[in-house]
Amino acid sequence: MPSIKITLNGREVECRRGQTILDVAKAQGVRIPTLCYHPQVSRTGACRICLVRVNNTMFKTACTEPVADGMKIVTADPEITAMRRGILEFLLAEGDHNCLYCEANGGCELQALCHEHGLDTPPPAGLPRNARTRDVSSSEGLRREENRCVLCGRCVKACGEIQMNRVWDFAGRGSHAHLTTGVTDVLGESDCVQCGQCVQLCPTGALSFQTVLGRGQAWELTRQSSICIYCGVGCKIDFFTNRDGLLVKAEGALDGPNEGHLCVKGRFGFDFVQSPKRLTQPLVRKDGELVPATWDEALDRVAGAFGRIKADHGPDAVMAFTSAKCTNEENYILQKFMRAVIGTNNVDHCARL
Amino acid sequence: MSATTDIREVVAKYGRRREQLMLILRELESRSGCNCLDPATLREVAEEMNLPASAVAGFVDFYTMFRTAPRARYMIRVCKSTPCHTAGAIDVFESLRKLLGIGEGEATPDGLFYLERCECLGICSVAPAMMVNYDLHGNLTRRRLARIIRSYRESAAADGRGSGRETAAAATIIDDARQTRRLLADIGRVNPARIASYLKHGGYAALRKAVATTPADVIAVVKDSGLRGRGGAGFPAGLKWSFVVKGPMQKYVICNADEGEPGTFKDRVLMEGNPHLLLEGMAICGFATGATIGYIYVRGEYRRSIDTLQHAIDEARTRGCLGANLFGSEFSFDVFIKEGGGAYVCGEETSLINSMEGLRGYPRFKPPFPGQAGFQSLPSTVNNVETLMSVPLIVERGADWFKEVGPVSCPGTKLFCLSGRLNRTGLVELPMGATLREIIDVYGQGIRDGHAFKFAQVGGSSGGILTAELLDMPLDIDTPMKQGVTLGSGVVLVCDETTCPVDFLLQTLAFFEHESCGQCVPCRVGTAQLHHHARRLAERRAAPAELDQMLEKAQLMKKASFCALGQSPIIPLTTLLKAFRGEFEDHCRPGHACPACDRSLAQYYRSGRTH
Ligand SMILES: Cc1cc2nc3c(=O)[nH]c(=O)nc-3n(C[C@H](O)[C@H](O)[C@H](O)COP(=O)(O)O)c2cc1C
Ligand code: SF4
Ligand code: SF4
Ligand code: SF4
Ligand code: SF4
Ligand code: FES
Ligand code: FES
Repeated sequence: MPSIKITLNGREVECRRGQTILDVAKAQGVRIPTLCYHPQVSRTGACRICLVRVNNTMFKTACTEPVADGMKIVTADPEITAMRRGILEFLLAEGDHNCLYCEANGGCELQALCHEHGLDTPPPAGLPRNARTRDVSSSEGLRREENRCVLCGRCVKACGEIQMNRVWDFAGRGSHAHLTTGVTDVLGESDCVQCGQCVQLCPTGALSFQTVLGRGQAWELTRQSSICIYCGVGCKIDFFTNRDGLLVKAEGALDGPNEGHLCVKGRFGFDFVQSPKRLTQPLVRKDGELVPATWDEALDRVAGAFGRIKADHGPDAVMAFTSAKCTNEENYILQKFMRAVIGTNNVDHCARL
Repeated sequence: MSATTDIREVVAKYGRRREQLMLILRELESRSGCNCLDPATLREVAEEMNLPASAVAGFVDFYTMFRTAPRARYMIRVCKSTPCHTAGAIDVFESLRKLLGIGEGEATPDGLFYLERCECLGICSVAPAMMVNYDLHGNLTRRRLARIIRSYRESAAADGRGSGRETAAAATIIDDARQTRRLLADIGRVNPARIASYLKHGGYAALRKAVATTPADVIAVVKDSGLRGRGGAGFPAGLKWSFVVKGPMQKYVICNADEGEPGTFKDRVLMEGNPHLLLEGMAICGFATGATIGYIYVRGEYRRSIDTLQHAIDEARTRGCLGANLFGSEFSFDVFIKEGGGAYVCGEETSLINSMEGLRGYPRFKPPFPGQAGFQSLPSTVNNVETLMSVPLIVERGADWFKEVGPVSCPGTKLFCLSGRLNRTGLVELPMGATLREIIDVYGQGIRDGHAFKFAQVGGSSGGILTAELLDMPLDIDTPMKQGVTLGSGVVLVCDETTCPVDFLLQTLAFFEHESCGQCVPCRVGTAQLHHHARRLAERRAAPAELDQMLEKAQLMKKASFCALGQSPIIPLTTLLKAFRGEFEDHCRPGHACPACDRSLAQYYRSGRTH
């Protein structure tokens, strides 16, 4: 791509044709506020927060406008800030935002933008609201609060472009615009597979996980990086724990092989970690009851049973099924054990599903 | 719900491609017997077409002509846009409510009639107007309404062919020899239903001449003529054509016949009066830009235009005026019709393209411009009907002929759509730069019933208000802009001293809220808030400070909105406020009497509905 020169806040910088103003600003370390923009999905240009002044004559959205040779860009000045404030005031008036009650509190892009732009009073009473029908509980995994939705379309694109499931779309028009998940607009009745991708891309508290409900607002959660233990892809996961140390949420990390994506198992299948039902010591069944035992007692019981079955029915009467939750080494040892000790090729693994 | 066999049959008829969604849904709705598309039908259509259910639901929800709840056999849509409002749309609405015994959004118990309001139907010269299924009726009086309703009770709707005679193309043109009739010259002389008649009057000679030259030659003559777009923005047509990306890929010509700007009816008259001139213009544009397929996007309300054009296309194909190797050349061209579904914003060119593809009519950001990536992401030239119909005349008679009238910067003639409180309303063709005074006094024959001129809305709802000081301003493309107004599509709506500017603003801002697509924040929220303030003014509940708040909000919308729809409300707002500040301030006093506002509030805001 041929290199061109533009002026960014009075400084001449080099960039490539085809880049947007936002791309260049990011590369130069200049922050332009955004809301509908998300690097993982196609451009939208709907929120208008990223408006910048171009060539002293017009305003353009930095996230959609390609750079052109000689362009002069100003990313912030009093007029631009006033415009961004005006847009934020519009959004607050249109929706129902009370961060006291919101899971996203502390992790919400709208909230952060309002704070950054010095908004300090709620919208005047009496202005028309775009009140939408709520559907908070129809889905087991996803919690939806439409009146916090800014109609940025990130969920629509997350589902359509990343998950390729196309559950969300816009419905209504103008001040009655809202999201829909199908002809009935009940998320729990839609084709949603609960991958959670849309929740992850939602900049506000309009979409959240049922698992978080009442267990901590975004600001109270601590992030810890981990790897998903379910399958061979090895998705990089950020786990969130609340103030009691309880695991409440999983997010796909952008820098893993999964590029932010998770499947329903990785997304929601973490409750076992802190489950009281989890095994913490060997148990053996005595008189039909599982009772605590020593490792020696338990292993003797297993070895004895394997030996008996092999003697009575031959080695192929035994098989092993290993788990992606085990390490490669553990999986290797198990198949070696089956072949060399038991004498069968009956080995399988859940990642082959 | 529509029977599964019906759905399969209709989908099979049009094909499964998403771009056919509008036609498929329209036919299913017509077949439903109650003018509705229920959720079960939508789900099945989605399945049959392999589309997400949400996409079909969202599509239906965008276009006002569709409903998911049952309506009735005949849906009556009463126009409420400013030209009809000025002509007494409220009386029509009230009479119908009494006549049928139902309110808005209700059906008569016998399932025959359903009543709703709509925006401009494109027959404003015979305002007040309404549409019954696809039949258009104007000049509505109480007696006429009773007669029309009776006739529907007795016989079936004719889906456009039952439109009142007052709406016919030739009848819409003002009969006055002082006009400069170029585009209108053949209307009434050429039979629109007979290609032979068009050919006899020299039809398709310009296309024959064009294909014997080169695309560059054609672009050169169009550039030289100075022809500028007649759809509103006034962009030079030749220049636009020269920007269309070159290369071996498929390219398209798109004719914008969405004509939604309240007060505009010129394109309808042109299409219904002389359809072949449009086909010829499109073919020439196709030749010049390397496109072999043309689409005419006609608003869904214009059933008669659609029928007329389809017939013309069929005839042109059989006569070899459309098709392969036209007039012995290498050039092939064919034309197809796309229909709209009741959305003003779909007149915006990129929104129109989305609509053509079976999507919600959200505008796309530019660049890329349609000339780079338009319909199906391929290079497309979008022009207005009037623009494209000027092309054959230019090619045939030359650029110098075209420039004989009108100012140097925007030569040629312009169609003006006269409506409102005039003695004569209708379509006139005058040199660009005609003045409001000439239009009102000569062609409109003055203000009706001896009243006095108060203001004219020029350019439609997104245009501005012109008061008496501007009566002598030339109405061309550039001069009005210096005064903060626009010529737009050529609307001249004249209001007399009985018009209340607050009531007028209320109708205008209700229009914008209703027509905003809702994609971008400033317009989605701004149009609702402006409408809210206007309603408070009409209710005489607003504080004077709200006038400035309205201006501030409209200013923000102008600077920050995604497309020109959200950028426009500032124009009617500032021009009305500037001219009638006193009357606006009067409305800020709770004791101020205003019968006009009272009536609008009583009729349109009774159930708490805002639009
Ligand atoms: C909200 C909106 C509505 C529009 N409606 C129409 C329309 O009904 N017909 C039209 O020709 N152009 C309309 N336009 C202008 C088109 O976007 C486009 O500029 C035009 O079709 C180009 O054709 P022209 O250059 O021949 O005028 C509209 C624009 C906007 C923003
Ligand atoms: S979505 Fe954001 S701004 Fe709205 S209530 Fe939640 S945290 Fe606050
Ligand atoms: S959870 Fe996944 S499948 Fe469900 S709507 Fe969101 S992105 Fe689509
Ligand atoms: S739900 Fe979230 S991601 Fe989706 S449009 Fe609303 S705010 Fe944006
Ligand atoms: S300005 Fe209005 S019509 Fe245009 S994109 Fe924004 S919301 Fe839609
Ligand atoms: S971030 Fe650019 S318009 Fe929303
Ligand atoms: S038909 Fe009613 S305003 Fe045009």
